[in-house]
Amino acid sequence: MQPEFQSRSVPPPPNLEFKVALLLVLMVVLVFGSLAYVMYARGVFESTQRVVLVADDSEGVIVGMDLTFSGFPIGRVQRVELADDGKARIVIEVTREDAKWLRTSSVFTMERSVVGGTHLRAFTGALTDPPLPDGAVRTVLSGDATAEISQMVNTVRTLVENLQNMTKPDSSLNLSLDNLQTVTQNLKGPYGALGVVLGSEANAKKVITTLDQSKAAMIQVNAILGDVRTSLKSVDAVLAEAQAVGANARVATTDLGALREQVEMNLRKVEHLVDEINRKWPLARDTELKLP
Amino acid sequence: MRQHSLPRSGLGTLGHACVRSATSWWGIIHFGAVALVLALSPSTYDRGNRAAITRNIYASTWQVLFWFTVLCALISLVLIRIVVVTASSYGLSQYALEMVVRVLVLELIPLGAALFVVLRSGMLTNTGSTASPLHIEHVPRMIAIAFSVATLAAVSSVVALVLAYLVVYGLSPWGLAEYTHMVGRVFDPVVTVTFVLKTVWFSLAVAVIPLVSTLQTQHETARESNTVPQGTVRLFLVLVLIEGVSLAAKYI
Repeated sequence: MQPEFQSRSVPPPPNLEFKVALLLVLMVVLVFGSLAYVMYARGVFESTQRVVLVADDSEGVIVGMDLTFSGFPIGRVQRVELADDGKARIVIEVTREDAKWLRTSSVFTMERSVVGGTHLRAFTGALTDPPLPDGAVRTVLSGDATAEISQMVNTVRTLVENLQNMTKPDSSLNLSLDNLQTVTQNLKGPYGALGVVLGSEANAKKVITTLDQSKAAMIQVNAILGDVRTSLKSVDAVLAEAQAVGANARVATTDLGALREQVEMNLRKVEHLVDEINRKWPLARDTELKLP
Repeated sequence: MRQHSLPRSGLGTLGHACVRSATSWWGIIHFGAVALVLALSPSTYDRGNRAAITRNIYASTWQVLFWFTVLCALISLVLIRIVVVTASSYGLSQYALEMVVRVLVLELIPLGAALFVVLRSGMLTNTGSTASPLHIEHVPRMIAIAFSVATLAAVSSVVALVLAYLVVYGLSPWGLAEYTHMVGRVFDPVVTVTFVLKTVWFSLAVAVIPLVSTLQTQHETARESNTVPQGTVRLFLVLVLIEGVSLAAKYI
C-alpha cells in the first residue's frame, strides 16, 4: 500500500476539494440526521402526560422500558423511586396521542416472565369512560411467573410426598390391593362371590341350604295358593247370586212404593166414605157448639 | 571497568522498563494533547495545511469509503441474518433487532472501523518523513485519520441500521414506527453519549498512538528494531481499554 497522502510530489486527484467537501457534508448530515432521528425516536418532540404506577416491588422495572396497550408501546418509564410508604413509584410518560387509550377504569399489570424482562401492560375495558387525568396514580397488579413456579413446586412436592405415602409397603393403598387380591382369589373359589360377600364358606353353605328349603316351601305355598284360588271362585259364584237377590229386592221395593200409594188412596176414599155416611146418618152426633 | 560491563540486575531492568514505558505513555499523551490543540486551532487551517488535510482526507476516507461500506454491509447482513433466524427459532424474535443494534452498531462497527483505519494508515507512518514540523506534516494526517474513523463508523452504522430493518420487515413501511421505537429504546442518553465518546476516543487513539510510537521508535537504538511494534501493542491496548470502559458505562 502506497502512502499517497504522505507525499506532496503526487499530483492531486481531479475534483479533490469537491470530493472532500462532499465527505464533510455527508458526515455533517449523518451526525445531525442521526441525532434528530434518535431524538424523534426518544419522543423528544412529543407532548406527554404522566401516569404513576404504585407497586409493592419494582424488581425488573428499568428506566426506558415500555408500557404497552394491546401490544403497542404507548409510554416509557421515566423514573422509579421509593415512596415514603415503602412502595415503589413507577413514573411513566405517555404520549398525548396515545393517552386516549387510558381511561379512569384502566387496569395496569406488571408481569414477570421466566424468559425476557418485566412487562408493564395497560388494559381498558370501557373506552367510553372518562380519560385518565394527567399525573394519575394507579396501583399496578403484579403477576409473577416465577412465583407461580415456586407455588407449583410446593404443590408438586406435596403431591410427591402423598404419592410416596401411598406407595409405601404398609400404606393403605397397598393393603387395599392385598385385600383385593384375596377377594379375587375367593371369587375364583367354589362358592364365588357368595363366599366373598358372606365372609366364609360355611356361611355360604348355610345360605345355599336355606335357599333349597325355601324352594320346597315355595312349592307348598304354590299348592295352597291353588286351593285358595278354587275357594275364591266359589265365593265369586255366591256373590253373583247375592247380587241377583239384591236386584230383585230393589225391584220389589219399587213395587211396594206404588202399592203403598194405592193403599193410601183407598184409605182416603174409605175415610171420605165414612165421613159421608156420618153426615148422612141420622144418628149422627151434633157437633155444633151452643154458647150459654 | 569490569563492574560497568556486568549485566543489570532484574530489579534495575524492571525499573528501567517502567520508566521507559511511563515516559513513552507520557509522550503519547503530550503529543496527542498538542495535536488536539493544533487541530482545534484556526491557524492550523491555513491555505497550505488545508490542502494537505484535503489530500489526506481523500486518501484515508474517500478511497476506502465505498469498499469498506460494502464489506461492512456484507458482514452486517450475515450477522443480522444469523441473529434474527436464531432468535426466531427460540421464539425470541422481539429481542433480535435490539440485540443486532446493540452488538453490531454500538460495538462491532466502531471497533471494526478503527481497526481498518489502523491497518491501512497506521503502517504508513513508518515510511513517512518525521523531520517535518508537527503542524505541517503530522496534524493534517492525524485529522484525516480521525475523520476517517468517524466517517466510516457513521456511514457503516447507518447502513447496518437500514439493513437490519430490511432483513426483518422487508420493504414494507409499516414496521417503521415499531423500529423507530426500538431504536429510541436502545439509544437512551447514556448509550448515545457513550457511543459518541467511544467513537471520538477511537479516532484520537488511531490518529495519535501509531504516529507517536513510530516517532519514538526512530529515536531508539537499532538493537530494539526486531521487537514487536510498540505502537501496535499500545494501540490495541488502548482500544480494548476504551471498549471496556464504554461497556462498563452502558451496562454496569
